[in-house]
Amino acid sequence: MATHALAPATTAYRTGLYEWLTTTDHKKIGIMYVINSFLFFLIGGFFALGVRAELAQPGLQIFSDEHVYNEFFSIHATVMIFLFIIPMLAGLGNYAVPLMIGAPDMAFPRVNALSFWMLPLGGLLLLSGFLTQGGAAAAGWTSYPPLSEVGPTKSPGPGQDLWIVALTLIGTSSILGGINFLVTIFKMRAPGMTLFRMPIMVWTILVTSVLVVMATPVLTSALVMLFIDRNYGGHFFDPSFGGNAVLYQNVFWFYSHPAVYVMVLPAMGIVSEVLPVFTRKPLFGYKAFIFATAGIGALGFSVWAHHMFTTGAVFLPFFSLMTFLIAVPTGVKMFNWVATMWRGKISFSTPMLFAVGFLAMFLIGGINGAFSAAVPVDFALHDTYFVVAHLHYVLFGGSVFGVFAGIYYWFPKMTGRLLDETLGKVHFVIMIIGFNLTFFPMHMLGLQGMPRRIADYASNAGWNDWNLVASIGGFIIAASILPFIWNVFISLRNGKIAGDDPWEGNTLEWATSSPPPPYNFDRLPEIRSERPLFDVRHGRLDHGDATA
Amino acid sequence: MTAEGALQPIDATGAPIVVQEGHVARGISNPILGMLLFITSEVMFFSGLFAAYFSTRAHNADSDVWTKPQQLLNPLSLILVATILLITSSFTCQFAVWAIRRGDRRGFIRNIAFTFVLGIVFLLLQGYDYTLLFGEGMTLGSGVFGTTYFTLTGFHGAHVFGGVLMLGVILYRGMSGQFSSKHHDAVEAVSLYWHFVDVVWIILFSVLYLLS
Amino acid sequence: MSSSPRRRIAPEAVIAAVVVILLVVLVPLVVYSKIGESLFPPDAVTKQAQDVRSLYNIVFAIAVAIFVAVEGLIVWSVIRYRRKPGDDELPAQTHGNTLIEIIWTAIPTVIVLFLFGLSFNTLATVDAVGNNPDIRIHAVAQQFQWTFEYLDQNGNKVATQTIPTAAEGGGMAVPVGKNVLVTLDSPDVIHAFYVPRFLFKRDVIPGQTNRFQFTIDPSEATDGHPEILSGQCAELCGTGHRTMLFNVIAMSQNDYDAWLQALITKSNATPPPAPSVGAGATLNVTAQNIAFDTKSLTVAAGQPFAIDFVNKDPAGVDHNIQIRDASGNVIADPPLTDGGQSATYTYQALPPGTYTFICKVHPIAAMTGTLTVH
Repeated sequence: MATHALAPATTAYRTGLYEWLTTTDHKKIGIMYVINSFLFFLIGGFFALGVRAELAQPGLQIFSDEHVYNEFFSIHATVMIFLFIIPMLAGLGNYAVPLMIGAPDMAFPRVNALSFWMLPLGGLLLLSGFLTQGGAAAAGWTSYPPLSEVGPTKSPGPGQDLWIVALTLIGTSSILGGINFLVTIFKMRAPGMTLFRMPIMVWTILVTSVLVVMATPVLTSALVMLFIDRNYGGHFFDPSFGGNAVLYQNVFWFYSHPAVYVMVLPAMGIVSEVLPVFTRKPLFGYKAFIFATAGIGALGFSVWAHHMFTTGAVFLPFFSLMTFLIAVPTGVKMFNWVATMWRGKISFSTPMLFAVGFLAMFLIGGINGAFSAAVPVDFALHDTYFVVAHLHYVLFGGSVFGVFAGIYYWFPKMTGRLLDETLGKVHFVIMIIGFNLTFFPMHMLGLQGMPRRIADYASNAGWNDWNLVASIGGFIIAASILPFIWNVFISLRNGKIAGDDPWEGNTLEWATSSPPPPYNFDRLPEIRSERPLFDVRHGRLDHGDATA
Repeated sequence: MTAEGALQPIDATGAPIVVQEGHVARGISNPILGMLLFITSEVMFFSGLFAAYFSTRAHNADSDVWTKPQQLLNPLSLILVATILLITSSFTCQFAVWAIRRGDRRGFIRNIAFTFVLGIVFLLLQGYDYTLLFGEGMTLGSGVFGTTYFTLTGFHGAHVFGGVLMLGVILYRGMSGQFSSKHHDAVEAVSLYWHFVDVVWIILFSVLYLLS
Repeated sequence: MSSSPRRRIAPEAVIAAVVVILLVVLVPLVVYSKIGESLFPPDAVTKQAQDVRSLYNIVFAIAVAIFVAVEGLIVWSVIRYRRKPGDDELPAQTHGNTLIEIIWTAIPTVIVLFLFGLSFNTLATVDAVGNNPDIRIHAVAQQFQWTFEYLDQNGNKVATQTIPTAAEGGGMAVPVGKNVLVTLDSPDVIHAFYVPRFLFKRDVIPGQTNRFQFTIDPSEATDGHPEILSGQCAELCGTGHRTMLFNVIAMSQNDYDAWLQALITKSNATPPPAPSVGAGATLNVTAQNIAFDTKSLTVAAGQPFAIDFVNKDPAGVDHNIQIRDASGNVIADPPLTDGGQSATYTYQALPPGTYTFICKVHPIAAMTGTLTVH
């Protein structure tokens, strides 16, 4: 349903640099989040290519100094987690949530801008470690002490401190964003939009924001303690003065486990928006979905020590049980998605391709996680490439595919132009092939005993072939980004004009122009279900609130 | 975005835009909800530090590394005075909130000023207490007890300092006449934060000084 | 759809049937083939590892079943429910089904509880540490080497194995069929003791002594035929993490007794006298913090030479100065010098060229340099 925008869609933005630098408009901020996060995706990807190039064959070919190799994988993961996935999903949420609930902006627009600008600053601080004498942080993205403490063979340089400060800044940005989302969602919904009529994307951002507000500060406390140990003679983690190295792991993972749900729930939200639109059916089990999401959020706080099964310092049965249990709501979601597709009428625009890719790949990631939930099996697989396979299937096969689904889906709303479908399909096909070539062999490598975080491996260990395949796959992934970048470039100039609602969407963001006016909506349709636009378009065929 | 007495919105053709009826701001205000969520995040931050305290304490149960420096902490000392002053400041803060709720600007300013001063005095007393402890050889680096003690109380002190700054801001704004009985969200928010800081101190004091 | 009297089988049903048949044939073929082997851990050598392997097999079977079923449904939906061009009719707008939701919540719950129960049982065997092990070994992990101290039944050290790998003539020998207790300690950072064929690893954490027990299957070694098992540190411990290799050597009881006796003798023997210095230059090299103090040395060709080596690292951290030619062949490999000790290494005359000097215990960049002979 078109609205009477006060200015033509293609000039709805003031384009000056000053406007972008000082904006408090959630749409511009959301776009900046997306661009900044994508840049860090490329940077994190560069470090990954360095790792894969080295591991393609046995023998040290590229890194003569192992310390630099350690910096590469440490910064790769840190960048991908804290500067790519988490903020990218926060950015897509920033763009979409106020629109989807019929609000004019976020609750605290200036805090929103502050949250964004802390990110490039944090990223610069993190990467500046490479310019220091000791190099960037090199103790893994997990930075366990004692290796991350000061000491000649540990982490003596400022790189580790820069890592701590950068993460504290980025964490604060995240917390402020979480507070902003929660107040926006609870207090600024349009009339008629009850909680149980909100789009699933908004629900996942809600639960994610609860996790962010409650878990991220615990990371801050771990970082603060490490910083005090490193710089003020503290002894939190130093056993010779009564400290305990495992304490860090407990505090760290208390955050970092819920963090993985922060990294995946909004992507699941995106998939839950895309599937109903492109199957022309409602999401199957809307309420069940919400309960499953809340269940994952709650259970997510009870499993952290499954990252520490081999320390000999955790109560194994509890954490193993909770880890197995969290598979249930996750499985429920998977079944609900498949049921949404079942007997639907599916069209395969690029957003849908990536959403289906999410389902197919995240399933594998969920299944291989079950192996590690079984403690004795984890004793064999922990700290091997099997875990690297698991985490990439859920975070890349899951979250990143979800991110691309969201980008292709909302690009027309953000810019007024559609991305080219052919280039999108090329991107998808090359990426999913490259992705599986890279990460499936890692299951085998881990099972055969290849540990993580090693710069080189023995040529007679039997790991040569799979490593080569994985490295080739990595470069194929890199290649697949090129059609995407090209697509964005040409579509911004010459893409097909999208109009208000190019996909026949269900949710409120499609009830305004593309891009929307600064205040978002002139007029809102009546909201009587979780698919207000569908109801308008089809004369409320299927009328009433969604029931499970 | 309130509509009381605002101009009637019109669209590009000059026709009035019908705003959906029934949209009245209800319940807790945005800034206060935001502050409550912020306080939640701060509670979690302190939880991480408390977890470190209890874990380290359990790890060193009955060992000299822990019990010897623990004995340097005497609850019946300057720190008790500081505690009483901080608790008092929570009362004066609440009096200020009640005052502005009923429109009593003078009462509000008086009580916020007291709260502000008590906050500063608390910080000064804490700082002095630190110098006494340094004199006895307890520092951040003197052992794991010192590390946890100064980290916990130090971050609490930083939060008190932040609270003092916020109190200063609302004191200034109050003196400029920016608050009324209908519009004083900032006062409510800052008082919630101040009570939080006080409750954390009560817990800290009990755990560090009384639980041994 | 057609409604002719004779029902035609939908093409999708044919495709589905073919795919199912292919899967039923292919999946076992792959799983039991050479490639399929790599989907399983390597063959278990200990009693405990065999239990883990059985658990793995069950988890794997359930995983494959779920994968084939759900992935199959995804692929099926995507093929079968494509929107035909020009079809604007909405499909049935099914919002949900409470009964189905309950069913597909309950069944996975049962499955995961079953798996939890199984793994809990297996854990009891794997983690069990008894009071009377036959053999006691104290494994010390340091940056970047393993040391294995053999203890008697009272916990006193009788012998120390300072060479962790079999290739260098060392390794952690154990007799098959006997209960071995390993205690783990580290003086510096966190490491992990990992032997893939044990299907097991345990972290080595400073300030916390972890312990585990294992019994190697008696069939793994016989007199004169030991089995060498590879192991490696599996917790990032710094620049030399990848070099922290070790071997567990499974031996028959007789072989082990002889081996241990030889180790005891070696541990108690007085060190050999330092070789006399011949004609030629004497260079000075110091090692500290697992690094040499120089990255390049130069000597004249055709003359024997010596290196006065000072090891300033703590006791227990051994170094030496090995010489390798341009192809990587080891041409001189003097004995190890313990931390806090010094030694004079003598080397025979070398033809001109570029060589590498390297510590054989820590072959990392900081302990590698270039020796130019001109």
